[in-house]
Amino acid sequence: MLCSKSTLLVLLLAHAAAALGAPTLVSWLGRRAFLVLALVPGSAAAWALGQTAAVTSGEGPTMTLSWIPALGIDLAFRLDTLSWLMVLLVGGVGALVLVYCSAYFSPASGNLGRFAAFFVGFAGAMLGLVTSDNLVQLYVFWELTTVFSYLLIGHYTTRKSSRRAATKAILVTTAGGLVMLIGIVLIGDLSGTYSITDIVAAPPTGPVAVTAVVLLLVGAASKSALVPLHFWLPAAMAAPTPVSAYLHAAAMVKAGIYLVARLAPGYAGLEAWQLMILVLGGFSLVMGGYQALRQHDLKLLLAYGTVSQLGLLAILLGAGSRATALAGLALLGAHAMFKASLFLVVGLVDAATGTRDLRNLSAIWRRLPVTAVMAALAMASMIGLPPFAGFVAKEAALESLLHGGASPAWLDIALLVAFVAGSVLTVAYGLRLWWGAFATKATIPEIEPVRVIRPPLLLLAPAALLAVGGLAVAVLPGLGDQVLSPYANTYPAGEPGHLTLWPGLTPALVISLGMLAAGVGLFAIRDRVERWQATHQGPLDADNVYRRTLRGLDLFAADLTSLFQRGSLPFYLGIVLLMVVILPGGAMALGTSLPDRISLRGGVPQLLVGALVVVATILTVRSRRRLKAVILTGITGYGTAMLFFLYGAPDLALDQVLVETITLVVFVLVLRRLPAYFSNRPLAADRWVRLGIGIAVAVTVAGFAMVVPQARLEPPVSAALPQEAVAFGGGSNVVNVILVDVRAWDTMGEISVLVAAATGIASLTFLRSRTRDSRRPRDHVPGELPVLGLGDPDPMAPLRRPGTSSGSRSQEWLRGGRTLAPQRRSVVFEVTTRMLYHTMLVFAIWLLFSGHNAPGGGFAAGLITGLALAVRYLAGGRYELAEAAPLHPGLLLGSGLFLATGSGLIPILLGGEVLQTAIFDLTVPLIGEVHLITSTFFDIGVYLVVVGLMLDVLRSLGAEIDRQGEATGHDSDLVGPALEPAPPLRDRL
Amino acid sequence: MTWLVPLPVILPLAGAGLALTMSRHPRAQRVISVVVLTLVLVAAVSLLGLADRGPLVVDVGGWAAPVGISLVSDRLAALMLSVSAAVTLCVLLYSLAQGLADGDEEAPVAIYHPTYLVLVAGVANTFLSGDLFNLYVGFEMLLLASFVLITLGGTAARIRSGSIYVVVAIASSLVFVVAIALTYSATGTLNLAHLAQRLPEIDPGIALVLQLLLLIAFSVKAAVFPMSAWLPDSYPTAPAPVTAVFAGLLTKVGIYAILRTQTLLFAEGRADELLMTAALITMLVGILGAVVQNDVKRLLSFTLVSHVGYMIFGISLSSQAGLAAAIFYVIHHITVQTSLFLVVGLIERRGGTTSLIRLGGLARVAPLLAILFFVPAMSLAGIPPFSGFLGKLGLLQAGVADGSLLAIVLVIGGVAVSLLTLYVIIKAWNQAFVQDAPDDLPDTTLPRGMVGPTAALVALGLTLTFLAGPLYAYADRAASDLLAQSPYVDSVFSRGDRGVGESPEAAEGTPP
Repeated sequence: MLCSKSTLLVLLLAHAAAALGAPTLVSWLGRRAFLVLALVPGSAAAWALGQTAAVTSGEGPTMTLSWIPALGIDLAFRLDTLSWLMVLLVGGVGALVLVYCSAYFSPASGNLGRFAAFFVGFAGAMLGLVTSDNLVQLYVFWELTTVFSYLLIGHYTTRKSSRRAATKAILVTTAGGLVMLIGIVLIGDLSGTYSITDIVAAPPTGPVAVTAVVLLLVGAASKSALVPLHFWLPAAMAAPTPVSAYLHAAAMVKAGIYLVARLAPGYAGLEAWQLMILVLGGFSLVMGGYQALRQHDLKLLLAYGTVSQLGLLAILLGAGSRATALAGLALLGAHAMFKASLFLVVGLVDAATGTRDLRNLSAIWRRLPVTAVMAALAMASMIGLPPFAGFVAKEAALESLLHGGASPAWLDIALLVAFVAGSVLTVAYGLRLWWGAFATKATIPEIEPVRVIRPPLLLLAPAALLAVGGLAVAVLPGLGDQVLSPYANTYPAGEPGHLTLWPGLTPALVISLGMLAAGVGLFAIRDRVERWQATHQGPLDADNVYRRTLRGLDLFAADLTSLFQRGSLPFYLGIVLLMVVILPGGAMALGTSLPDRISLRGGVPQLLVGALVVVATILTVRSRRRLKAVILTGITGYGTAMLFFLYGAPDLALDQVLVETITLVVFVLVLRRLPAYFSNRPLAADRWVRLGIGIAVAVTVAGFAMVVPQARLEPPVSAALPQEAVAFGGGSNVVNVILVDVRAWDTMGEISVLVAAATGIASLTFLRSRTRDSRRPRDHVPGELPVLGLGDPDPMAPLRRPGTSSGSRSQEWLRGGRTLAPQRRSVVFEVTTRMLYHTMLVFAIWLLFSGHNAPGGGFAAGLITGLALAVRYLAGGRYELAEAAPLHPGLLLGSGLFLATGSGLIPILLGGEVLQTAIFDLTVPLIGEVHLITSTFFDIGVYLVVVGLMLDVLRSLGAEIDRQGEATGHDSDLVGPALEPAPPLRDRL
Repeated sequence: MTWLVPLPVILPLAGAGLALTMSRHPRAQRVISVVVLTLVLVAAVSLLGLADRGPLVVDVGGWAAPVGISLVSDRLAALMLSVSAAVTLCVLLYSLAQGLADGDEEAPVAIYHPTYLVLVAGVANTFLSGDLFNLYVGFEMLLLASFVLITLGGTAARIRSGSIYVVVAIASSLVFVVAIALTYSATGTLNLAHLAQRLPEIDPGIALVLQLLLLIAFSVKAAVFPMSAWLPDSYPTAPAPVTAVFAGLLTKVGIYAILRTQTLLFAEGRADELLMTAALITMLVGILGAVVQNDVKRLLSFTLVSHVGYMIFGISLSSQAGLAAAIFYVIHHITVQTSLFLVVGLIERRGGTTSLIRLGGLARVAPLLAILFFVPAMSLAGIPPFSGFLGKLGLLQAGVADGSLLAIVLVIGGVAVSLLTLYVIIKAWNQAFVQDAPDDLPDTTLPRGMVGPTAALVALGLTLTFLAGPLYAYADRAASDLLAQSPYVDSVFSRGDRGVGESPEAAEGTPP
C-alpha cells in the first residue's frame, strides 16, 4: 500500500484526472462509464475506512506542501475524525450516486460526458475541502464546489429555470464565500497563520476576531442554505436528481456545517457565535420544516427538509458542548444516508411515473413495493424512529440539551425549544413525504400501471444500501461512539456524550415520544395545515429580496453609467482638464507661494512675441473658418520659434519654423476635403463652461510655471554636457549631439513615432493597399479624368498635343505641369520651383552633414527636403510629385528606421553600449582629413525617416486626395471652396 | 549581459524598419515579425532571470547617468517585459492566422506589422526607461502606433472611437510633457534615479504639485476614474487582436508608470489616500458599467476599467504586501484580459456577432471555445484557484494589514466588485454559451491558427496559478526593491554620482 500521506494527494489527482478523462470515457462506454468513475470517490471512502484505526487513535495522516509562501498559503491536508467522517460520506455517497447515474440517465441523453466530468470534479473538490488544514486552501476548494455545483445545477442548459437556479446558487454562495474570505484574511492577519489546527488551538480574540468569526459563519450559512440565505437550495432542485441527492446529502451544503464543526472547538464559547448559531440554525430548523409541509413537489419538500435538517446540524455542532457535538456528528452521518436515499427514491419515482407532484401520485407502493420499503426505512431514520441512526443521534442530542452543557442556560433552553419544534415538523413532513409518494389517495386516480416502469437493480441498489445503512449503523452505536467521540471531545465544554440505541425510560425518551405523537398529529390534520398555510404567507420572502436586489442593481448601474459614460469627447476632455485644475492646481494654491518677484528677462521683444501668440490664440479659438484657424495656429507656432530664438536656441527655432511650415501645408491639403466652416457651434451655455475650463487651465499652468522653478536647489545635469559633448560625442553643436548621441535613444523612439504616424496617414488614406498608384507624368492620359481644379473633363485636352512634349525634357520647366489644367498652372511658380528645388536639396544635405558642429542635423535636413518635395507637388501636381520622388515612401521610412536602429545595434556587436558613437579620423585621398563620427549614420537614418514621412504625407493627403477627387468628380482644388459654394462633402466624411 | 537590456526595444524597431521596406512581401513581413518577437521574448525571459540578481543598467551610448539616458531592467521591469513579450507574440500569431483565414494577403494593409512592432517597442521602452522624458517617448511610441491600429480599416465607427481615443491620449500627453518641463525646472534632472535623490529635497508643496500632475497624466492612460470613460468608448470597435493587446497592455503601461513614479520619485505616499479613493470608485463605477452592457466587447472593456481599480488599490497601500499584490495582479490581468479579448474575437467569428442578445448556445456548438472562455473568465472573477483569486487575496491581505478605515472600505469594496464581476461574467456566459441563440448561428469553423495562440495564452494564465509560489515570491522581491529604492538608485549611480557610462573619462583632461 502507498504511503498514507501521499495517498490523499493521489486521490485528489485521481479525481482531477477522472474529471478530465470523463468525456472520453463516456464516449467510449456510454453511461456505463459512470460505474468506472464511481471507483474514484469509492476509493477515497475505502481509503478513509482503511485509516479508521489510525484516525481514532489520533494519528491520522497529515501532509503539507508549500504553495505560495508569500501569501502564507500551504497545501496542508490532514485526516482527523471529522475529516474521516466527511471523506466517508463524500466518497461513499458519491460512489453510490454515480452508480445510480449509470442507470438513471437514458443512454441517449446528451452531454453525459460533461456531466460526469463535473460530478467527479465536484466530488474531488469536496474531498479536498474536508481534508484541508489551511483556511485559504479550504476556501479554494469551497469555491470549486460552488463552481462545479453551478455547472451541475445548470445541467439542463436549455431550461430557463435551470439556468436561473444555477445563477442563483453561484451568486448566493459566492457572496457568502467572499464574506467568509474577508473573515479568513482577518483571522490570518490576527493569528499569523492560516493553519486551521493552529487557529483552533489558539484562537485569536478581540473585537476583530469576533467580526471575523461572524463573517465566517455568514459564509457557512450561505453554503449550508441556512435561513435567510437558504433560497438557492430549493431552486437548485432544477438539477438532475442524482446531483440533488449528492448536493443535499454529502456535498456542498455539508461544507458549511463542516466549517461550523471545524471552528466550534475554538469559538463556540463566543457570545456572538452562540447567537449566530441560534438564530441561523433555529430559524432554518423551524422555517425549513414549516415550508416543507406546504410543498407539493416531492423534491422541493425534501429540499426544505434539508434546510431544516441543516439548521439542526448547525445547532448541534455549533452549540459547543461535547455531548451535543457527538450527537451532531452522528446526525451528520445519519442525515447523509437518509437524505441521499430519499432523493434517489424520489428520482426513482419520478423516473418510473414521470411526475414528482404528490397531487398526481397515488398507490405507487403497489407498483414499486421495494422502493416504498426503502423510502420507509430512510424516512424512519429521518423522523427519528428507533432503531435507526436518526433516532440514536436525536436521542443523544435531546439528552445533551436537557442536561445542558457549559453554554449559558438561555441558550440551552432556546435550542431545546427549536429542537422540539423542528423535530415535530420533521415527523410531519417526513410522513407527508412517504404518504405523498406512495400512499393510496382516495381523491387521486391511480396512474395507469402500464406507464410505471420497474426500476432496474442499479437504480434501486444505491438507495437501498443507504437506507439499510441507517439501520446497520444504529445497531452498533458503541462503535459510532468510539470513532466519533475523539472529535467531539476536542470541544472545550461539557461532559462527553454517548450514543446508545436504547437509553431506557429517560425524560429524553418521553419527550421524543411526545414529539413523535405531535408530528403524527400534525400530519393527520395536514389538510387543515395546508389551508392555513395557504392563507398565511410569510412576511419576508428571501427569494423576492434576491430578485429585487438584482433588478435594482441593474437599474442603478444603468443610471450611474449614463451619468459618466457620455460618449462625448468634450466631456471627457473637460474632466481631464478639470482634474489638472483641481488636484495639482489645488495643491499649488494651498501648499506653495508665488515667488517674491518675477523677472522679465526676455525684455520687450519677448513681450511682443508673447502678445502676438496670445492674440493669435484668442483669434484661433474664435474663428469659424477652418483655414483661418489653421493659419492663426501657425502664427502661434512661429511665435514659439521666435521665443526659442530669443533664448538662444537657433536649432530649436529652425526646427520649429520648418515644422510649422510643413504643418500648415499639410493642414491646407487636408482642408480641401473639409467644409470651409466649422460645423455646429456648441450651445451658449457650453461655450461659457468651456471658456471657464480653458481659462482655469491656463491660469493654473501659468501658475505652475511661476511657482515650480523656485524649488531648484542644485545645478542641472546639463552643466556637464558641453565638455562631454565635444570629448565623447565628437561634436561642438551640443543640441545635435544631444539629439543623435546623448539622447539618441529618445530620437530613435521619436523617429519610430514618425514612422507610425506616416503609416497611419497612409493606412487611412489608401484604405486598401498603399503600394498602388504612384503614376508618373508619362502615364498620364489627358482627358481621361476630370482635370484638377475644375469639375469637368478638360475640353482643351486634344489641343495640347500630348505626344509632342514627351521625351523633350528641355521644353518644359516641370514635366508634371502638363497634367494640370491650364488655368491652374503658374509659370512663375514652375520656374521658381525648377530653380529652387535642387538648391534646397543641396542645402538639406549640407545641413545634414554640418549638423554635428553647427545648427542643422538630420531632422532639419529632412524637413527641408520635404518642403522641396512639397513645392514640387504644389507647382506641378501629383504626377510631378511622382516624378520628383519615384520612390515608395515606405522604403525611405523603413530603411531610415533600420539604419538608425542598426547603428545602435552594431556597437553592441562590437562590445560597446547600444548607440555608442565611435570617432574615426581618416585621411582620404583627394579630400584630406575626414573627421568621421558614427553617429552621422544615425542622423542619416533620421533624415530618411523625415523625408519618408513628408513624402508619405504629400502622397496621401496630397496626391491620393487629388486622385480620389478626380475619381469621384468632386472639386479638389486648393482654392475650390472659395471659388464656388462648397459641395456637400460633409456627409461623406 | 547588460547588452540584453536594449534589445526588447531596438529589435522590434529594426524589425519595423525592415518590415516596412518589405511592404510588397507580406510573407517576409510575417517572418520578420514572428522572429523579432520571439527574440524579444527570449531576451525578456533572460532578463527576468538576470534581474533577480540585481538590476541591469545600460547608459545608452556610454553617456554616464545622469547626463544620458539609462535603461534599467530591475525585477519589476523584467517581469512586465516578459509577460508583455509573451502576450504580444501570442496576439501576433493570432492576428496572422486571422489574416490568413480571411484571405487578406494584401489588406489589412501592409502597415500592420511595422506598426505593431513599434507598439511593442514602445511598451518595452516604458518598462525599461530610467528617464522621465524617455518614458514620455515610450508612451508616444505606443500611443501613435495604437492610433494607427485602432483605426485600422477606417470604418466610420473606428474613426469615431479612434478620435476619442486619440484626443484624450494627446491631452494626457500634454499634461505629462508639462509635468516633465516643470520637473526639470524644479530639479534640474530627468533621470529617475537622480530624481529619486533630488525630489525629496525640494519644497514639499512643489513636489506634491509635480506628483499630482504626473498622476493625472498616467491615470488617463491607466483609465482611473474619473478619467476612464474614454476607454469603453474606444477599445471595443477595433479589430479583436488590437483590442486584445490594448486591453492587456496599454492600461498596464499607465499602471506601471504610476507604480514606478509613486515608489521611486514620491516615496512618501502623500497621494495614497487620493489613490485609495480613486481605486474604490474606479472599481465600483467600472463594474457597474459592465452590468448594463449587452455587447461582450464593451462588457469586458468595463471590467477592464474596474480591475484597474484593484491595481491602484495595491499601489495606494504603499506597503510591500500591497505592491507585491499589485504587481502580481498586473501580471495576471495582462494575461487574462488579453486571452478574453482573443476569445471574444473567436466568439465573433463563430457566432457572427458580439452582441449578447444575438449570441447563444456556443457551449454546444463549440465546446473548446467554451472552455477557453470559462477559464480566464473565472480567473477574472477571482474564483480560486485561478490567478485572479491569488492577486485578490494578496490585495485583501495587504488591505487588512494596513488596517486604516479607507483600506478596510477598499477590502469590502474589492470583495463586492469581485462578486459583481462574477455576476457579469455569469450573465454573459449564460447568454452567449448556455441558452439558445434567437437565430441560428452561422455555420463556420474556427481556424486552428487562431485557436492555438488563444489556448496558449489561456494556458499561460493557468501557469500563473501553478507557478504562483515562485512568481509571487518574485513579485514580493520586486516590491521590496521598490520600497527600498536603493537597488534601483545604486545600480544607476554605480560610481557615486555618475553611472556606468564612459563619457566622464573621455571628458577629463579636455578644457571645458
